[in-house]
Amino acid sequence: MSQTDQRTQQSADKETAEDTGPGSYRIEVTDSAAIPDKSDKGLFTAWRVSAFGAIGLIILLCLVKPDPYWDILLFVPDGVLVTFEVTMLSILLSLIVGLITGLGRLSGNTFVNLTASTYVEVVRGIPLLVQLFYIYYALGTFTQIPPFTAAVIALTVCYGAYMGEIFRAGIDSIDYGQTEAARSLGFSSWQTMRFVIIPQAMRTILPPVGNEFIALLKDTSLVSIIAVSDLLRRGREFATSTFDYFETFTLVALLYLLITLFLSKIVNIMENRLTPYE
Amino acid sequence: MNESSPVISVRGVYKFFGRLTALENIDLDVYSQERIVVIGPSGSGKSTLLRAVNQLESIDRGTLTVNGSDVAHPKADLNKIRMGLGMVFQNFNLFPHKTVLQNLTLGPMKLKKVPKEQAESEAYPLLDKVGIRDKANVYPSKLSGGEKQRVAMARALAMNPSIMLFDEPTSALDPEMIGEVLDVMKDLAREGMTMVVVSHEMGFAREVADRVVFMDQGNIVERGTPEHFFQNPQHPRTQKFLSQIL
Repeated sequence: MSQTDQRTQQSADKETAEDTGPGSYRIEVTDSAAIPDKSDKGLFTAWRVSAFGAIGLIILLCLVKPDPYWDILLFVPDGVLVTFEVTMLSILLSLIVGLITGLGRLSGNTFVNLTASTYVEVVRGIPLLVQLFYIYYALGTFTQIPPFTAAVIALTVCYGAYMGEIFRAGIDSIDYGQTEAARSLGFSSWQTMRFVIIPQAMRTILPPVGNEFIALLKDTSLVSIIAVSDLLRRGREFATSTFDYFETFTLVALLYLLITLFLSKIVNIMENRLTPYE
Repeated sequence: MNESSPVISVRGVYKFFGRLTALENIDLDVYSQERIVVIGPSGSGKSTLLRAVNQLESIDRGTLTVNGSDVAHPKADLNKIRMGLGMVFQNFNLFPHKTVLQNLTLGPMKLKKVPKEQAESEAYPLLDKVGIRDKANVYPSKLSGGEKQRVAMARALAMNPSIMLFDEPTSALDPEMIGEVLDVMKDLAREGMTMVVVSHEMGFAREVADRVVFMDQGNIVERGTPEHFFQNPQHPRTQKFLSQIL
């Protein structure tokens, strides 16, 4: 069998898979939060129990024991804001880095491909906390980077590699026939990416990117260690001055849980918006 | 360009896939308004030859010119050359994220900078031609195979090509849908479109082809008019192939 025939065979297989509509390709990514989905009844109920449980518990604690719970709740909001800022900036930047990395990983150019692949391999092999220390303390011996900037850089570098793999898989999942059709009309390889491949890959990419979004939000708690005043850091500041460790970290944990649950709900709504093309 | 010079000229073309010789010293001329049907067993190189014409498949040796341009030249403007070559695939390859109308207008709008209104007003007559105007705003997933292939033809025609290439356009279709696709192809042939068709449809070859080319194992084994080809084939391999499928 010639290669051409094999390729045709592959596209025929993919054609059938395509007919079941988008969503038939799911990129599974580990270390993500559980996204509540109506098809998973247990998880859906669990989301409600956790969300309303957390809200109820926070209200209850503040009513029953306003000192220190109410005080903590008034103390940490700037931390929530910082956590939010770090998350948003890092997500945005890591999406850009991820797209470039993903395209690089698919590049036919050996140098570009090797550079992108090595970046992914190295970054994924080093714990985020170590990367954070490296950028803030190790590189800090040459040039002092402000904590907030160092945090965003570390998260971007780390998550850019993960996003890169998602982009690569998403683009790779699009049938090669799409590229051939576009090229045969006269589209350049870049125009083919831009108008034909990436718009289709977006659907496959969005759900795992949502998962990364949540994972990144949780990982921002690590930046508290390099003096970024995020939610966890603010909690620690309160706890060390009052010695209310149990109360403070109970509330901090509940707040993280609430934010994560809220985000996973948004990701779920976005996924449901991805109706098949019809 | 001289009227009598070929629009596609294949000279001594070789193509290797590893150790397999997919095309071996192929010579073929296609003249304006000519209809060539290429037949042969699977793996004979017929699709590879067709795909080499618009360089979806590169060639390893020989020359291949389309409308006077050497397509295998490293500096050839392939995107420009491909705009003049419509291609229809076995698996349709419609853009699933675009409606039928958008499938037709994407090329002209992005590649020829045709304004949207003009691209659409030029697309509707093509949809009429392939008999699918009522599905203009539908996504390809809602179409039958025959409808998909007719849209694919209209999409290729929207770029206003001078030559159309068909790579087994009916092979992925249910039998009852083959006719509607062949009918559109026959209309195109009647209008004088230059066509190179890789197909197993012998009836179509007999009715429409000016010349039939039979390929086997990377070689052109025999070529001639449909009358010659179907009634009086010379080569034993052609005779064997025809006896197996007719």
